[in-house]
Amino acid sequence: MSSEELAVEVKDLVKRYGRTLALNKLSLEIKANETFALLGPNGAGKTTLIHILCTILRPDSGTAKVGGHDVLRHPLRARRALGVIFQEPSLDARLTVQENLDFHGLVYNVPASVRRKRIPELLELVDLSDWRSKLVGSLSAGMKRRIEIARALIHDSKVIILDEPTVGLDAQSRENIWEYLRQLKATRGFTLIVTTHYIEEVDEADRVCIVDHGSVLANDSPDALRAEFGREIVRVTPHDADSAAAITSKFPEATSEPDGQIAIVGVGGEVMATLLRELGPQIKHVSYDRPSLESVFLSLTGREIRDAPGGTAKPLAAARQ
Amino acid sequence: MGAIGGVYAIWLREIKRALRDRGQLVGGISRPLLWVLILGIGLNPYFRAEIYGEVRFVVPYTYLQFIFPAVIVLNIMYTAVQSAVSVIADREFGFLREVLVSPMPRSLVLIGKVLGGATVAMVHGSLVLVLAEFTDVNLNLSDLFIGLLLMFLLAFGLTCLGIVIANRIRSFEGFGVFSNAVILPLYFTSSSVFPLDPALTGAQTRVVYPEWLVNIVQANPITYAVDSLRGVFIGFNQFEASLGPIIMGAMAVVFFAIALWDFRRA
Repeated sequence: MSSEELAVEVKDLVKRYGRTLALNKLSLEIKANETFALLGPNGAGKTTLIHILCTILRPDSGTAKVGGHDVLRHPLRARRALGVIFQEPSLDARLTVQENLDFHGLVYNVPASVRRKRIPELLELVDLSDWRSKLVGSLSAGMKRRIEIARALIHDSKVIILDEPTVGLDAQSRENIWEYLRQLKATRGFTLIVTTHYIEEVDEADRVCIVDHGSVLANDSPDALRAEFGREIVRVTPHDADSAAAITSKFPEATSEPDGQIAIVGVGGEVMATLLRELGPQIKHVSYDRPSLESVFLSLTGREIRDAPGGTAKPLAAARQ
Repeated sequence: MGAIGGVYAIWLREIKRALRDRGQLVGGISRPLLWVLILGIGLNPYFRAEIYGEVRFVVPYTYLQFIFPAVIVLNIMYTAVQSAVSVIADREFGFLREVLVSPMPRSLVLIGKVLGGATVAMVHGSLVLVLAEFTDVNLNLSDLFIGLLLMFLLAFGLTCLGIVIANRIRSFEGFGVFSNAVILPLYFTSSSVFPLDPALTGAQTRVVYPEWLVNIVQANPITYAVDSLRGVFIGFNQFEASLGPIIMGAMAVVFFAIALWDFRRA
């Protein structure tokens, strides 16, 4: 694959904050026009990586290219290709929606004729045309997010970076934001990089990259990740303490969950059959979860990895205490 | 080049925000009213000295005329410092990121910001000019033009100074404390509300006033800014006339350089 077709190329990025190693020779590639999700716990290095790609942070070593431009050697060119929506809103509350968008257009060198055409189109796409002359301070959080997404597309951005786009929004707004993103992507065509910790959002992506401790743990499509790392989980609610004891003696690798359920990780069909056949009366309630990204995430970045000194990233069954 | 559009956008934003900032506008109008009309008129009769039964003018102008240019400087100082507060606000409320991530070079971002802040400060300074006819200050067009240029130069330097300070202070409260501890002392020791008698030599002045006060006034750059505006608007210079523009020019250059160095480092 030639590098023009790669929207982002990251090689061996290292970044230290004091004694903390935020990025540990992190490498990845993002293809043009794909939707790419970055998933990882807090402190995994996602924000550091994003800031380096946005050229507002310098790495200690390694290279990064956005839209084919090296972020260290040609930051201005990289920025021209980027549209960034940070987690914290960056609109001016004392200016109107139109004024905020015009500001962006001017600062990104978008010619007046293009601004006059694109701004109304984008406002229409995010259903905020009626709010064009209102002060941004009077908009709700969800509306501000939509404005910021529209704003990022006023110039010829090829790579859009969204840092936790739906944090702080209610479920309805969250779904709406994704609908707008889908429409915009279908109309305009761009590479979308999203960091999120909402697992259900990650399903939207073409590829999901799981990071922790500054390294890539897995990088593949959601289906492939589920197939490789996902676990089937059977959860049982026992009748009483005796039942619980009976179940855990039959399945010694089972773990107790905080709500009193017992979780058994393994091949669902066999576990279910054994449970029902031999322990039927002990069971109050049983449920079965197919391999999900939730379990992929847990198995790759679960508590065990954090507890183990200098923990290496190995897929661990969530069953081990 | 298209970069001018960006500088214009940043400049325009400062103007729009200032127009919508009611608190600042109220301050910019009430200050000249208080200082010129009330304090100025109130102290006017006391500004002449009677020595050996003879009425002698310490300064050959009325107090109203004397204090008029100083209040212009006061308005510029207050506004320039307040535009620096917006630097802290931008950092706190995230707007700065939008600009930092854009393809605008840092130096142009700073220039837009400073030009915007200086324009607003200069306009606030001009609000004082409205009171010119109450104070018997005659303004002809060429005086006005030169005066506005000098005001802009001063506004530019003070806005840069405000930004330099804002870059080093993390919170709004800290900045408020600082500006009050700095603006008013600088103002009062700039020969703004009381003059150093030009008829006396340095040594003689030190007889009338305590030595420390004379030293402070002579070392204070604002003294020369006020003096040069006095020279333009009422034709009275206590100090060498060229000192004012030179010092204001130096302030503008030095503070801008520091602000730029700060900004590039971030």
